[in-house]
Amino acid sequence: MKKSGSIAVSLLLGAGLALSACSGGNGNEGANNGGANGGTNAPAEEGFNEEGLPIVDEKLTLTIVSPKAALAPEYNEMEIFKRLEADTNVHIEWNNIPDTDYAEKKNLLLASGDLPDAFYASQFSDYELITYGEDGTIIPLEDLIDQYAPNLKKLLEERPDIKAAITAPDGHIYGLPTWEENELGTNPFFHVINKQWLDKLGLKFPETLDEYTEALVAFKTKDPNGNGKADEIPLSFMHMQWCMDIAGLFGAFGLPDNLEHRIVRDGKVIFTATQPEYKEALKYFNEKWYKQGLIDPESFNQDAPQYLAKGKTPDPTLGSYVWWEIEEVVGTAQAANYALVPPLTGPTGKQTIGRGNGGGPGRNAFVITKDNENPEVTMRWIDQQYEPYMAAQIHWGPIGIIYEKDANGKLVNLPLEEGVSMGEFRQKVAPNGAGVITAEHFRTIVDMEPRAQQRKKDLEQYYEPFMEKENYPTIFFEPEELDTINQIEPELIKYVNTQRAKFIVDGVDDKAWDSYVKTVEDMGLGKLMELYQTALDRYNAAQK
Amino acid sequence: MNSLLARKTKGDVLFDIINYTLLTIGMLLILYPLYFVLIASFSDPNLIYSGEIWLLPKGLTLDGYERIFADSAIWVGYGNSLLYAVVGTAISVSITLMAAYPLARKDFVGRGAFMWFFMFTMFFGGGLIPTYLLIKDLNMINTIWALVVPGAAGVFNIIIVRTFFQSTIPDEMREAAFIDGCSNTRFFLGMVLPLSKPIIAVMVLYHVVGFWNGFFDAMIYLNEESKFPLQLVLRNILVQNQVNSSMMIDVESYAAKLRVTELIKYGVIIIASLPLLILYPFLQRYFVKGVMIGSIKG
Repeated sequence: MKKSGSIAVSLLLGAGLALSACSGGNGNEGANNGGANGGTNAPAEEGFNEEGLPIVDEKLTLTIVSPKAALAPEYNEMEIFKRLEADTNVHIEWNNIPDTDYAEKKNLLLASGDLPDAFYASQFSDYELITYGEDGTIIPLEDLIDQYAPNLKKLLEERPDIKAAITAPDGHIYGLPTWEENELGTNPFFHVINKQWLDKLGLKFPETLDEYTEALVAFKTKDPNGNGKADEIPLSFMHMQWCMDIAGLFGAFGLPDNLEHRIVRDGKVIFTATQPEYKEALKYFNEKWYKQGLIDPESFNQDAPQYLAKGKTPDPTLGSYVWWEIEEVVGTAQAANYALVPPLTGPTGKQTIGRGNGGGPGRNAFVITKDNENPEVTMRWIDQQYEPYMAAQIHWGPIGIIYEKDANGKLVNLPLEEGVSMGEFRQKVAPNGAGVITAEHFRTIVDMEPRAQQRKKDLEQYYEPFMEKENYPTIFFEPEELDTINQIEPELIKYVNTQRAKFIVDGVDDKAWDSYVKTVEDMGLGKLMELYQTALDRYNAAQK
Repeated sequence: MNSLLARKTKGDVLFDIINYTLLTIGMLLILYPLYFVLIASFSDPNLIYSGEIWLLPKGLTLDGYERIFADSAIWVGYGNSLLYAVVGTAISVSITLMAAYPLARKDFVGRGAFMWFFMFTMFFGGGLIPTYLLIKDLNMINTIWALVVPGAAGVFNIIIVRTFFQSTIPDEMREAAFIDGCSNTRFFLGMVLPLSKPIIAVMVLYHVVGFWNGFFDAMIYLNEESKFPLQLVLRNILVQNQVNSSMMIDVESYAAKLRVTELIKYGVIIIASLPLLILYPFLQRYFVKGVMIGSIKG
């Protein structure tokens, strides 16, 4: 009976599909007529409580798709979600997709119209938020937030900048924010030097670029690890990789750089990689460093495991490297021998460091689809995760496992068990999908992780005094703007970065430089920068 | 005979030398990576990256294997893979044989039409999304059937088997059997199958290897981790995203994952290949024979 039923259904659906395919591109709707009338107009569920807990009197089930780290358990096994279910009486049928396959499977679900009630930690790009928002696949949330999300509403009222950041150019909010406002991303390039070797060779701690170069030369020639072999690597990095590149050093020539080669000074967008300061920097790195063999030639093509392994050789061989934490590269035993290098003073007496772009709240933490028949319940459920204490637990792990509340009502870290790595453990206990922890919350609600605290201290001590004041914020672009950016930027940046490596290795002469600048301009640099400038002006206007 | 062979000219000797040299190089090229994986699985990952390991394992460690044996997901995946491989192979091989036999019979009415119908699917398919919708509407999502049923009738394999039947089962044999009162079914089960062991072995190997190595269908159709086959579990552990600024909050987690990956990478390759390594020698003697017979005499 059941079998023949399902065959009939499949035949019908097959026919429906064929028809909708003929009618031209409305496949989504055709396959989904079952739940398409969800939306905000659906009648509120029996026993739905607009305030207080539980959210529903009778257990209600929502289907939610979410990516999941490889080490994490299924979300229903996660303590924090068990507690949430007990409080709200809302059961979640999780479809946890391993994060490596998430993008592919998300696209498949969207394209086939096999929609869940919501996507958690959705990873929708801005482009997807707008296009799926405009075609109705995901629903606008601002009214729901207004009525059913007191925590979120409060947050957005207190922080209009967050509201501005998550509002799409068409005025709707399609995705909810997630953010840890820890201001840790301003400079990912922590430059590290082997202090033990400096002491051993009687060198002073470098303050200028030239002193730093002298130290590297000494590392190479004077056998500081004392094993009689010239196996020292004076400087290793990963070319144009986030948190592993030498972009931080360009500031010594007066114009700091970042990975996009796009900085902002006095509200003006500047493309650094065609400026004279950038050329001077490359010239210096080539003549003083590469030609003398101070740069590890593998810097231009190594991958992270290879890079990390270089710091862990039995005889230390690494003189200087870039990574935003000392320990990760050289291991706990060696870490004490290494020290951070503050921004160096360049040949022209400049001492600055760039500020990383972006860094605002994410706006794709949670989207609700049109097939959701209980958007009110869904909004109330997700709103729980914007309650500050809950948000902290969602991001790092539950009270009793990661945290305890101290006398002032602040969450403080419990000691970890011996031999447990925080990074690994966090993946197991915290979904880290939604919720906003503002700078204010870091003062009153929750302690930063010990390692994050350390990073913050380092940033304040070594880098912030010299840091550029402005950066390019995370702007919600118009779809047409995104089209232009996607057309021009990837090729352009790829070319610029390849040339950068080439200039460092082979040297820069005026002829090569001029032809490089011309090529970059021919690739559409002017148009791209104009677009970024317009968008930035618009953004600044909206913030006022 | 012997004396003839013994008299080698200079040219022959030279030929032999070059021949053996080339073959030895070829063999080493294939053997060395396998050997490297084996020694690397016992070595300290940092030493592997610094390029210090190439002939003997260094920094001997069993941490990788300990980690693998302690990881329940890997073993659940192992069990699933075995299940999918066995069930999938059984279904696929029986369907392939049963489809190929009638097509091999000259007296089968509509043989050309059926053959054409089958061939059609080799060149035209629905594509990923329609196929996904079909599987979903058949209620096969998140079940073993989504993996083992849709691809069960591989047309290419059917053609290989059909050709094998045509060339090894003479029509006269069937006539003789029928005169003795044998039915179609009995003839197929009692005579055709026992005579077709080589091709069955080949088909089994093809399919087992296919199911064992496949992860794409599982990735698309399965939702629950407890149903993932080994390859998908491994993929999730081993494939890494690039470090980028969106991981800002989580560089630490990235490093944690990296550590696990590096530790178990080579060990899991060994463990994941074991079943096939064990299976292959038993089927190998049929392998060359079967494919040759099936495919060449078309």
